[in-house]
Amino acid sequence: MTALLQAIVLGLLIGGVYSLAASGMNLIFGVMRVVNLAQGGMLILSAYLTFTLWSSTGLDPLLLVVVTTPCLLVVGWVTYYLFIERSRTTDPSMALVTTFGLTLVTKGVIALIWGNQPRSVTPGYANRSFDVAGLLLPQAQVYACLVAVAVLTCLYLLLRRTWLGRSIQATAASSEGARLIGIEVRNTWAAAYAIGVAAAGAGGALLSVLYPFMPSSADHWIGLTLSIVVLGGMGSLAGSVLGALVIAVAESLTSTYVSPDWAAAVPFMAIILVLVIRPQGLLGTRLREDMSRA
Amino acid sequence: MPRSGRSGRQVAVLGATATLLLGAVACGTGSGSSGSGPITIGISLPLSGPVADASKPAYEGYKVWVDQLNKNGGLLGRQVELKVLDDGFDQNTVVSNYNRLISQERVDLLLGTFSSKLNLPASTVAERNKMLYVEPSGGADEIFDRGYDYLFFAQPGTSRDLPEQFLNWIRSLPADQRPKTAAYPTQDDPNTDVTVAEFRKELTALGVKSVYSEKYAPDTVNFDSIASVIARAEPDLVVHGAVAANDGAGLVKAFQKQQFSPKIMFQTNAPSLVGSYPQAVGAKNTEGIFTTTAWSPKSTYAGNTAFVKSYTKAYGSAPTDDAANAYTAGQVLEAAVKNVGGLDQGKLADWLHGHQVKTIVGPLGWDERGVPAGDMLLAQWQGGKLEFVSPKAQQTTTKVINPKPGWS
Repeated sequence: MTALLQAIVLGLLIGGVYSLAASGMNLIFGVMRVVNLAQGGMLILSAYLTFTLWSSTGLDPLLLVVVTTPCLLVVGWVTYYLFIERSRTTDPSMALVTTFGLTLVTKGVIALIWGNQPRSVTPGYANRSFDVAGLLLPQAQVYACLVAVAVLTCLYLLLRRTWLGRSIQATAASSEGARLIGIEVRNTWAAAYAIGVAAAGAGGALLSVLYPFMPSSADHWIGLTLSIVVLGGMGSLAGSVLGALVIAVAESLTSTYVSPDWAAAVPFMAIILVLVIRPQGLLGTRLREDMSRA
Repeated sequence: MPRSGRSGRQVAVLGATATLLLGAVACGTGSGSSGSGPITIGISLPLSGPVADASKPAYEGYKVWVDQLNKNGGLLGRQVELKVLDDGFDQNTVVSNYNRLISQERVDLLLGTFSSKLNLPASTVAERNKMLYVEPSGGADEIFDRGYDYLFFAQPGTSRDLPEQFLNWIRSLPADQRPKTAAYPTQDDPNTDVTVAEFRKELTALGVKSVYSEKYAPDTVNFDSIASVIARAEPDLVVHGAVAANDGAGLVKAFQKQQFSPKIMFQTNAPSLVGSYPQAVGAKNTEGIFTTTAWSPKSTYAGNTAFVKSYTKAYGSAPTDDAANAYTAGQVLEAAVKNVGGLDQGKLADWLHGHQVKTIVGPLGWDERGVPAGDMLLAQWQGGKLEFVSPKAQQTTTKVINPKPGWS
């Protein structure tokens, strides 16, 4: 029983971080119908940035989200105007290829700057755990999950309570309608993309504390975040949280009770199940996305 | 009519050209030797991807060997050039790379890639083209069980021999100090599979009870659940089949989070990456972790000191096991070409099957499968350095840390 609870708790804790990692991809898809495969690269870029800041300043890596998030916001803004805007107005598949290309470039740049060696961020609490009634709660996981919840709450409030957030929602619902009521649609798309990448900036800082990472780790996170978004429902922020928790707990239980070899297949099995049973995802509403340009 | 005549002549010229080209290709059989100009050696390496940190030193090991070779006059009086392609640790890419090196780049010789996973398909390409294939790593049984004639392994032992020195050390311990239980997490990889299965078989025979034995997928990042199950079983010994430093560090970090530190810990491969492993796990956490290597920087075999010196001068850091293995593969190829006095691939393979080669890992000789007979080395991280504890002839210290201290 304790083993079962332990597996579920570990899954939930890491699920919180997964949901932050996936939220950016979901936001970008929800607003501009672009499957942003560059998110994996952005997560790892943020992890390396955190590593450099942590090793040079000694500041707490989880608190470094306040630095990595705006840095990645700028990266997102620039890449939108340089690459994404042009490609998304031509063909949906072109945007997919562009974001995949961006991942390759990001991995290459990371390898050039930091090398191909794996890195770890190990603050003082990295090897400590809370013992709660026989359950071991790794401190790093607990703190990372709390920071993820805080960032997700900020993201939710930004989208619901601010003028920019409402503009983003209006643009997502109908870009033509948004234009008619005076919203600068072009800038709103750029802002949504930049915020999505900034979410990866926060997620990468948290991941750097939890797992060793290297440039090729981006590939793992692309697959995982895409699975979460598809499972939760593309375009649904709450869906990405639910999808992340489901996948993380399923991974943890599979690793504990079936085999770790099968745990890596869990996200992809989830995609197949979703496509067969509920194509719009757990909390998604659209059965088929109209991929034509607005 | 004139049009038709010209067209006929063009067809005839094209046909003749095609025939000549086909003839040239057919006669080539993978060797692009022109008898003058540099000798080219084709290699594919995973210079990007999850094991890039291990293959980069291998590439550097090859380059140190070629530089030394060229300074000493090259091969057969010709300079030697490496033609290296990146395969990203992908089995399909490594096959297309070696096919390209043989049929398009028309290299004169081949050298092997990194890991069993890649050498398994790559060696098939070489064998099909009847080209000598000396591999610096890739000791899985299934590589040698195919009865290839052109395949040779440039380490003193294969994956099956890897546990030997560690098992000898366990046997040397008093009964009350031996581990009672063991866990065997391992990456699903042809190399680690064999090694960890051998560990488990031999340790079980010594009375060490297995409490966990599972494989995980190569792209596993989250080791928390694996560590949690192992921590609950509280084994005295953990034998971890780790292919890359990322792997080794991932499990160590997960153990730290579970507040679990085994009394004895052995990891394959990862701890020998002396540059990246301490960075990934934290320098103090390496203390007491065992691994097996093929080569020691302090060995007294001929050429080793010069190799360490040249490598350190060229790259600013001491060579790793992977760099040394690549250098050794180069030495084997060099000996074969120099002794045969030509590039006939069949003669090169025949010569290696019948002779020993002096290398920096000791004298190597091969059986009919290309498997060498020799001793692997047992190493342990002590005081921030990888020290060699057995066999006796290769020891850099007589001290063995047991039990392993807790995580720092």
